[in-house]
Amino acid sequence: MATIAVTLTVNGEPYDLSVEPDRSLLDALRIDLGLTGTKTNCLDAECGVCTVLIDGRAVNACLVLAAVAEGHAVTTIEGLANDGVLHPLQKAFIERGAVQCGYCIPGMILTAKAYLDEHPLPGEAEVREALAGNLCRCTGYQKIVDAVLDAAREMASTGAR
Amino acid sequence: MSRLLFHRPRSLDEAVALAGRVGADARVLAGGTDLIVQMRRGHVAPRHLISLQDVPGLTGVAVNGQITLGAAVTHRAIERTAGFAGALRCLIEGAEVIGGHQVRNVATVGGNLVNASPAADLVVCLLALDGRVALLGQGGERELPVTEFLRGPNETARRPEELLTRVTLPALPARSATAFVKAGRRRAMEIAVVSVAARLTLDAAGTRCLGARIALGAVAPTAVRARAAERLLEGRPATPDVFADAAQAAREISEPIDDVRASAEFRRHLVGVLTRRALDRCATRARAVA
Repeated sequence: MATIAVTLTVNGEPYDLSVEPDRSLLDALRIDLGLTGTKTNCLDAECGVCTVLIDGRAVNACLVLAAVAEGHAVTTIEGLANDGVLHPLQKAFIERGAVQCGYCIPGMILTAKAYLDEHPLPGEAEVREALAGNLCRCTGYQKIVDAVLDAAREMASTGAR
Repeated sequence: MSRLLFHRPRSLDEAVALAGRVGADARVLAGGTDLIVQMRRGHVAPRHLISLQDVPGLTGVAVNGQITLGAAVTHRAIERTAGFAGALRCLIEGAEVIGGHQVRNVATVGGNLVNASPAADLVVCLLALDGRVALLGQGGERELPVTEFLRGPNETARRPEELLTRVTLPALPARSATAFVKAGRRRAMEIAVVSVAARLTLDAAGTRCLGARIALGAVAPTAVRARAAERLLEGRPATPDVFADAAQAAREISEPIDDVRASAEFRRHLVGVLTRRALDRCATRARAVA
């Protein structure tokens, strides 16, 4: 099949790719760019493990074509830490013991980040609703929710995003 | 998908010209939350994809009496439109229950209409609000009521060479309120088992129904209006027993099926319950404004 040229901007860096037109952003990230922090699972927007941010908004990378992501800022879990310093969400997830197998976590953290960037101090019900598109089979969600609430308080007090 | 040609028109004219040339073997890509899933599953295999990502003029929301939604308006944008928080609340209620945030950030009202799932949530609201769609082809534009646009499961009156560009809703009469209620097995990430959207217009005293619209989702080949129920309400008191009559009339026009999510019998029961609930909410809301 004929390939097309797509330039992706991921975590602030431009990458020139030559991909098939129906290449998903998910495959472009994981396979073409080796950024495997974004996970692959259901491939139909039911589970959220493939969540990345496009222009700061959470999307399922499995359903976004790489060609459609061109011209937008893509953020993956690899782009969250700042010069080796973990993002408050990453720290909170570790401190709260919210990570078991780890597979849902990048999606959870990015969805939470996009949500907190717009809603700085949510209540628990709002956090649960915000994470409705992210499934976890291990934790029962409680520690994930606690971690998001912790991070929200930290981010609100320091002004971090 | 191995022969796929990807097009990125930069204007509506270019997109329409493309649809004119290749529309018969093309799909239009907006949010992709239905289309890409269908392509991955092999249910559709277009030769051409016409992406709307660079086409301007499709994301506007205009609220000035009449309401106009560009075809590429996302569910997220609808949720956040302050002008819908009052009498038009069913739009927010319909937009906020589909998928999760990741889906709502990209899924569009145009896609919801063109995909025409019998269970589509926003479509049910647009029906209850007397929506009209605009279809643009090389010969010009035509407008259709949503009732005529929906033809069957995943089937619409859109011709392959046409693009759906917007949906328009007439201004609501004074003292109107709307509500959307959805039943499913869980509170998010769910295809409706049954949904109901209603609009109720009350008299100045808030005691009598001047007009009503009731639309049902997931209980027929397309989202449908319960016209007998609507007629029954006209001129009658806005009271629980009258709403119960309307709910019964709505049950009678529904033709649900048994499927993995629910039985036909349960769906028919839910039509009655949700219609009453939607009408009660409309009455409460309409009186609160007055």
